[in-house]
Amino acid sequence: MIEVEGLSFRYPGAEHEAIRGLSLRVRRGSLFGLLGPNGSGKTTLISILTGLLSSPSGQIRIDGKILPAQTREIQVFSALVPQDYAFYLRLSVMENLRFFGGVLAIPAAELRDRLSEALAVAGLESFTAVRAEHLSGGLKRRLNLAIGLLNRPQLLFLDEPTVGIDPQSRHFILDAIKRLNAHGTTVVYTSHYMQEVEMLCDEIGILDDGSLLACGTLQQLLYDTAGHALTVTLTALPTAQQRAALNAIAGIDYQDNEIRLDKCSENDLKRIIAILTVEGLGIDRMQYGYGNLEELFLHLTGRQLKD
Amino acid sequence: MPVLALVSKELKLLVRDWHALLLLFVMPAVFILVMSLALQDSFASHQSVRVHYYLVDADISPVSVALVKRLGSLNEFKILPADAPVAELIDRVRHDRAQFIIRIPAGFGKAMQSEKPLAVQMLAGPDVEPAIYKLFEVALHDVLARVYLQATMAPLPSQMTGTDGMAIGGGNLDAADKLLDAQSLYQEGGVSMRPSSVQQNVPAWLLFAMFFIAIPLSTTWVQERQQGTYARLRSMGLSARALLLGKLLPYLAVNLLQVVLMLAVGVFVVPWIGGGRLTLGHAPLALCLIAVAVSFASVAYALLIANLVSTSEQATIFTGVSNLLMAAVGGIMVPRFLMPPMMQALSQFSPMSWGLQGFLDVFLHRGGLKTVAPQAAYLFAFGLACLTIAGILLSMRKRK
Repeated sequence: MIEVEGLSFRYPGAEHEAIRGLSLRVRRGSLFGLLGPNGSGKTTLISILTGLLSSPSGQIRIDGKILPAQTREIQVFSALVPQDYAFYLRLSVMENLRFFGGVLAIPAAELRDRLSEALAVAGLESFTAVRAEHLSGGLKRRLNLAIGLLNRPQLLFLDEPTVGIDPQSRHFILDAIKRLNAHGTTVVYTSHYMQEVEMLCDEIGILDDGSLLACGTLQQLLYDTAGHALTVTLTALPTAQQRAALNAIAGIDYQDNEIRLDKCSENDLKRIIAILTVEGLGIDRMQYGYGNLEELFLHLTGRQLKD
Repeated sequence: MPVLALVSKELKLLVRDWHALLLLFVMPAVFILVMSLALQDSFASHQSVRVHYYLVDADISPVSVALVKRLGSLNEFKILPADAPVAELIDRVRHDRAQFIIRIPAGFGKAMQSEKPLAVQMLAGPDVEPAIYKLFEVALHDVLARVYLQATMAPLPSQMTGTDGMAIGGGNLDAADKLLDAQSLYQEGGVSMRPSSVQQNVPAWLLFAMFFIAIPLSTTWVQERQQGTYARLRSMGLSARALLLGKLLPYLAVNLLQVVLMLAVGVFVVPWIGGGRLTLGHAPLALCLIAVAVSFASVAYALLIANLVSTSEQATIFTGVSNLLMAAVGGIMVPRFLMPPMMQALSQFSPMSWGLQGFLDVFLHRGGLKTVAPQAAYLFAFGLACLTIAGILLSMRKRK
C-alpha cells in the first residue's frame, strides 16, 4: 500500500533533516505501528504521506500513485486523524460531521449513510446534538476518529489517537480500529503506548532521529532484528575462574551478577548453559531475545531523554 | 523571592516574543509619530496654513481691494489662485480640493453704504467641519466689519476714528452683518444647507468599524490553525484558495450587514435621540459599490493579518494598532486638509482614505458611480494584493 524509498525532508531553516533517507513498506490491509520517541519524525512522516508537507526528496508511492504529483488522488482514499482535536468546539457532533462531509463533497444521498456509519463506529449516536466543547476527552477522541472515517478511507493515518483518555475509551477506540482493519482498511498508527502497539499492530516500524531503526512483525523484531540478545542474572557473583571459563565465548559482558551477550547464536546459548552448569553457577533469571516491545524500543533508541 | 522570579520570567517571555515587542514598541512609536504629524497645530504659523480658499473679486473697487488685502493678511487661511471660471472653482470646493470660495459681487463697494448693500458670498465645501466653518465665518465677518468701518469712517477726520462705537461717522456695525452671505455647498433635496455632523462623521466611523472585522476573522483563523483543523482540511484536499474563499465570503456578508445596520442607526436612531438625520445621497448603486469595495478590502486585509500572526493576542493587537494608524493617516481622526502636506500625500496611500473619499462622495458631494469608481478600484486592488500575499503565506506554511 505504501512504498517509500530514500525519503529525506528538512524543514526550511532547520539545521538537520527531520527525515533521513528513510525506506519503508506497508502492505495493504496491514495495521502498521509507527513507534518513535518525541521528535523522532513520526508526525513529519505522516504529514508527508498525507500531503501536508511538500518538497521531500525520495520516492513515495501510495497504492501505486506517486506523491506529491498525485496527492489529490491519494487524499480521496486516505484520511488523517490528527493528534489534536481537529474540529470545531462550538459546533455539535452532527454539525461537525456534516461540515467535514461537505468539505469532502460527499453527495447528499450518500451522506446520511456515511454519517450513520461514522457515528456507529465511534459510538457517538447518543451525542449527535451535543456541542463538541461539552464532550469528555474520550468522546472528543471518538469524534476526531469519526471525522476521519467519513470518506470510507482505504488508508487511515492515526496520530496518537488515544492520548489522554481513560482505559474504557482507549479500549473502545482500539476495538474500533481493529474492526476497521478487519474490514480491509490499512492503518498506520503512531503511539507511545507500547502495549497498545503490541496488542494491535501486525507490523511495527521504530523510528528515531528521522531514520527507521527496525521494521517488521512483532515476532521478527523481538527475536530476529534484535539479534538474539541474551541476559542471564546469576544467583551469585562469578569468581575470576568462572569468568575465565565464560570468556571463551566472544563478546560476553558482565555487570555485577549479570552476564550479557548482545548477539547470541543458538550454539552460544547451549555453550553458556553448559559452562554455567559445569562451573556450578546458579541462574536466577534468564532472557533470550527481548521479552517485550518496550525493552526493544529502549534498546534501539537508547535510554537517554530525547527532548 | 517568588516575585523576583515571576518578574524575571515575564521579562524573558517578553524578550523572546518579537511580535509582542514590535507591537509594544514599534507600532506605538509609529502611531505617535503619525498622530503628532497629523494633528500638528495648523494655525500656529503662516507656513502651516491648511484651510485653503478661492477669492473671486468681481467688483475691483477700492473697498473690495481693501477687503482682499485684509483677507490676504490673515495667516490662518490661504488664498488659492482663482485660475478657472467661478463654476469650476465652486466645483473644486464641492469636491474637497479647497475648503471655501469667497465671491465679492460687482458693485459691492458702491452698494455698501446704500439701503440695499450687496453681500459677500462665502461658500463652504460639504466636508468642512462645523468648527472650521464657524472659524472662517467669524474671521470673514471680522474683516468685513473692519472694511465697513474703514469705508464709512473715511470722510471723518482721522483723529475721530475708532472701533468701539456702534455708530461712528454714520457707520453701524449691525449693518456689517448684512454684508456676509455664508452657505454650504451641501444640498439635500435640492436645497442648500449645512451638512449635519452625522452626515460628515458616519462615513468615517463606519469605515473605521468595518476594518475591525479583522479581529474576529483572524482570531478564529489562528484558533483553527492551532487546533489542527486546517491541517485536517488540507489533508482532505482543500486548497489554499478554497480556505481563503471560505472565510472571505461569510465575512463579506457580515461586513455588509454591518454597513446596513450602521447606516440605519444614522438614518433612524440618531434623529430619534435628537441628532441630525443621515441622508444616504442620491446614488444607491455608487453607495453599494463603495460599500462592497471597502468590505472586500477590509476582509482581505483581515485574511492577511490572520496569516501573518501566530497567536490570537497578536491578531487582536496588530489589528487594533494598524487600524488606528490607517485611520490617523486616512483622515478618519483628523480631516485631511488639516494635515501637513507630507501627511496629506501619505494619506493618499491609506485604504481608509479611499473608502472615506468614496463614502463622502456619495453622502456629501452628490457623487455617482463614475465619481466613486477610482476609489473602488483602489480598494479592490488593495484587497486583491492582500489576498495574494495571504495565499502565498498560507501555501508557505505547507513547507513549515
